[in-house]
Amino acid sequence: MKGLLRVLGSFNLYWKFSRTPRWLFVWLAAVVMTIATAVDAADHAATDQVSARLIAETSAVYPGAEIYIGVQQKIIPHWHTYWVNPGDSGNAITIEWELPTGASASEILWPAPARISMGPITNYGYENEVTLLSRIRVPENLRPSEDSFAVKAVVDWLVCEEECIPQQVSLDLVLPVLLRYEVPREKNPLIAQALARLPVASPWPVRASVGTAGKFQLALETPEGALAQLADAWFYPFEWGHIRQSDPQALTLSTSGLELTLPAGEAPPGLGSQLAGVLVLTEKGGATRSFEVRPTLTATPISGSGVPGLAAALLLAMAGGIILNLMPCVFPVLSLKALSLIGQSGQSQTYIRRHGLVYTIGVLVSFGLLAVVLIVLKAGGAQIGWGFQFQTPLFVLLTAYLMFAVGLSLSGVFYFGGSVAGLGSGLANKSGYAGSFFTGVLATVVATPCTAPFMAAALGYALTQPPAQLLAVFLSLGLGLALPYLLLSWWPGLQRWLPRPSAWMDKLKQAMAFPMYAAVVWLIWVLARQAGADAAALALGGIVLIGFAAWLHSATRNGGASAAKLGSVFAGLVVLLALGGGYSAVKLGAPAQTDAQASHNWQAFDNARLQVLLNEGKPVFLNFTAAWCISCLVNERVALSHARVVDAFAADDITYLKGDWTNRDPAITAFLASFGRSGVPLYLFYPAGKSSEPVQLPQILTPDIVLATVRAENAQTPEPTSLSATAINGGRNP
Amino acid sequence: MAIKNLAKAFCAGVALTFAATAVVADPVVGHPAPVFTGKTAEGSNLNLEALRGRTVVLEWTNHECPYVVKHYEKSGNIPQLQKEAAEDGIVWLQVISSAPGKQGHVDGATALKLNEQRGAHPSGVILDSDGSIGKLYSAQTSPHLFIINAEGVLEYKGGIDSIKSPKEDDIPKATNYVREALDAIAEGKKVPHPSTAPYGCSIKYAS
Repeated sequence: MKGLLRVLGSFNLYWKFSRTPRWLFVWLAAVVMTIATAVDAADHAATDQVSARLIAETSAVYPGAEIYIGVQQKIIPHWHTYWVNPGDSGNAITIEWELPTGASASEILWPAPARISMGPITNYGYENEVTLLSRIRVPENLRPSEDSFAVKAVVDWLVCEEECIPQQVSLDLVLPVLLRYEVPREKNPLIAQALARLPVASPWPVRASVGTAGKFQLALETPEGALAQLADAWFYPFEWGHIRQSDPQALTLSTSGLELTLPAGEAPPGLGSQLAGVLVLTEKGGATRSFEVRPTLTATPISGSGVPGLAAALLLAMAGGIILNLMPCVFPVLSLKALSLIGQSGQSQTYIRRHGLVYTIGVLVSFGLLAVVLIVLKAGGAQIGWGFQFQTPLFVLLTAYLMFAVGLSLSGVFYFGGSVAGLGSGLANKSGYAGSFFTGVLATVVATPCTAPFMAAALGYALTQPPAQLLAVFLSLGLGLALPYLLLSWWPGLQRWLPRPSAWMDKLKQAMAFPMYAAVVWLIWVLARQAGADAAALALGGIVLIGFAAWLHSATRNGGASAAKLGSVFAGLVVLLALGGGYSAVKLGAPAQTDAQASHNWQAFDNARLQVLLNEGKPVFLNFTAAWCISCLVNERVALSHARVVDAFAADDITYLKGDWTNRDPAITAFLASFGRSGVPLYLFYPAGKSSEPVQLPQILTPDIVLATVRAENAQTPEPTSLSATAINGGRNP
Repeated sequence: MAIKNLAKAFCAGVALTFAATAVVADPVVGHPAPVFTGKTAEGSNLNLEALRGRTVVLEWTNHECPYVVKHYEKSGNIPQLQKEAAEDGIVWLQVISSAPGKQGHVDGATALKLNEQRGAHPSGVILDSDGSIGKLYSAQTSPHLFIINAEGVLEYKGGIDSIKSPKEDDIPKATNYVREALDAIAEGKKVPHPSTAPYGCSIKYAS
């Protein structure tokens, strides 16, 4: 009798007694039939934490019907059960169906979960109430009014507050089988509610890409204004290990939609696989929308903040190379080349063209060599980037000596012979392909401390690529650097725009010596920063010796063969002395430690310090610089040290951290790499607010650019334009 | 011998330097496992580095967790693994990271007594009530297993087996990932499933 009451109970919710007598008959028949089999069967069962009930979409079925049957769980406060991917711990709910022959049940249709965090552990699951639907197919061969449709579900779940209890219940439901038109139209509202909570296909395009530093980017492209009320977005992956579920998912909103940055998990999907899961959007009023998304992971970045593809990187590199010609470090060398072209204006076209080609080959060979060195060092596991060679004091010293020698040559103190060292020979005497070749080499050497616009993204890409791609990007950059001169030498039409050669050329040539001397002063300063004042003094001594050697070479040049030979030998010895002295200076010198001037408004970059500041929600400005990076120094002088910027930083309580990459620093290299960069400068601003996303500033700064960025971003912080993941449940324990 | 040790220390140092610069702080399979010094149930200190040269299994546990009960009292699965490991000279350490007042928190004497009652014979029990070792390893569940090879490199992290359920009937049907990994290491082969999903109760950290 207990069984009968339960079965009655299972029907009385939706049963309409005001049907035809035949109905009643069928119903009674069904009841009588079930009593025998379902003595202890019930459509509901309860544990201390969860009460479960089996509910059907309609109160009866017809042969061949497909209906939703749900397992509803009501969970006591603070406890939860688990989604298909339970997260860091826990166990998904499972349902095992026992159905009449010929019937079938679908997998569970999972409503969107919530995230439940406790300390370092984050779970995906359900609190309070959830209904898990399955689609059940009723066999065709059932006889209306005679057969009944008996459904049994064995439901297993793990319910946890802090402690966890695995539980199992068995739920039964018997539905009468009727003719199709006899089945009551009324549908259980609980089923409709549960259906409304299922994730739907996204109405907008969804894309996903593999980003840098083990992150995925997931983007939803919406029409403008569609996300105006968005308060939070969270991606729940179907599979364990696809993402790190405890980590924040940084949300960026723009007029074209939203972008989530997802930290890759233990077993992340690779390129070409799907990043499948549920994207839940919570609006300011608390309403949620959930989309089932299955984007295929691509390498293409979603927005400009990512890394370019190879084709884009090649183009960017070439554009960067062309712009390099105008950079302060390269311009003197380029003007040398332009001068030589004017000097050659009387020569045949083929001659000029050949020189243009040889210069280009000089540049390309140097860039190729640079790429090969980078590839080898990278293979050895070194953390390096663009301009890395200037992190070696010896290289700085040699470049300084070289620049000084070129300057002396320009000043007319001496002439290089047409030898391998004939750096200025292309200018001095109109022969000498070696001269053109080494002008190309020189252009490359002096170009490396500069980063031109467009170059950073291309190089950042190249350094993460296999050798072939890296080499291609470097060669493209070299081609860009050589291109203006190459074009000039190949198109006589362009040459007509150049002035006629005359005596002014000598004066200009001499004048161009001074930028070279200025470059030497700068390099010695870099050396002083790297290796200390003693090293700088010894290096300056070396400069004097080089001057002496140049004079000696020049003075003995016209004094007969033996005198010239003797002079050259002595000059060579003096140069060796300079090199040896400079080398020992570099070896001896201790790195000059940070000059602790109290007047600085910046502090040394330290990632741990940055994380502390960001956790406190403080605004932070980051400047990654190096003494040998001219663009960096110009930006610091012109923009970052500007009184208005300094005042604004102070007024807005912005912490200004400076990462000095003058010497090798793996921590800074790694940090730069996480932004797809391989070199300095890099300027970042983290607006106030916890887990705010950094804004990248351009590589050429003005005070207005800095102020506009800082003001705009900080003004917006009360608005959730830059959201972090705050747990739905606040800080409460699951 | 001294030179060999020096070389080892140097290699470990180099490896640690690289590990330290890695973006993800979690222990990564194929990288040196984080080193720690823990307090044992007997009250002595145990330094992981002192176990170099032997394979070490770390098993996060909580005797009140139903998933742990499944693999101890109900099936004897983990005690059996511990016995096999001991025969092969493998060090098996239980780690208890439950905070005081939370489920599974025990003192040393209780921990030893529980093992005796359950017929379990791990090489040692580490009491980690402040959760520092647990967080060092990002241990998430009880049980959650980590296997470190003789060179101190993490070879396996994840669940005890392939069927995530609290039912002991599933144990014979499941692939025992720990046994599989230990066998592979003993034969000098690659561990077939080096990182799997752990399952069980969450570790009861203080915060």
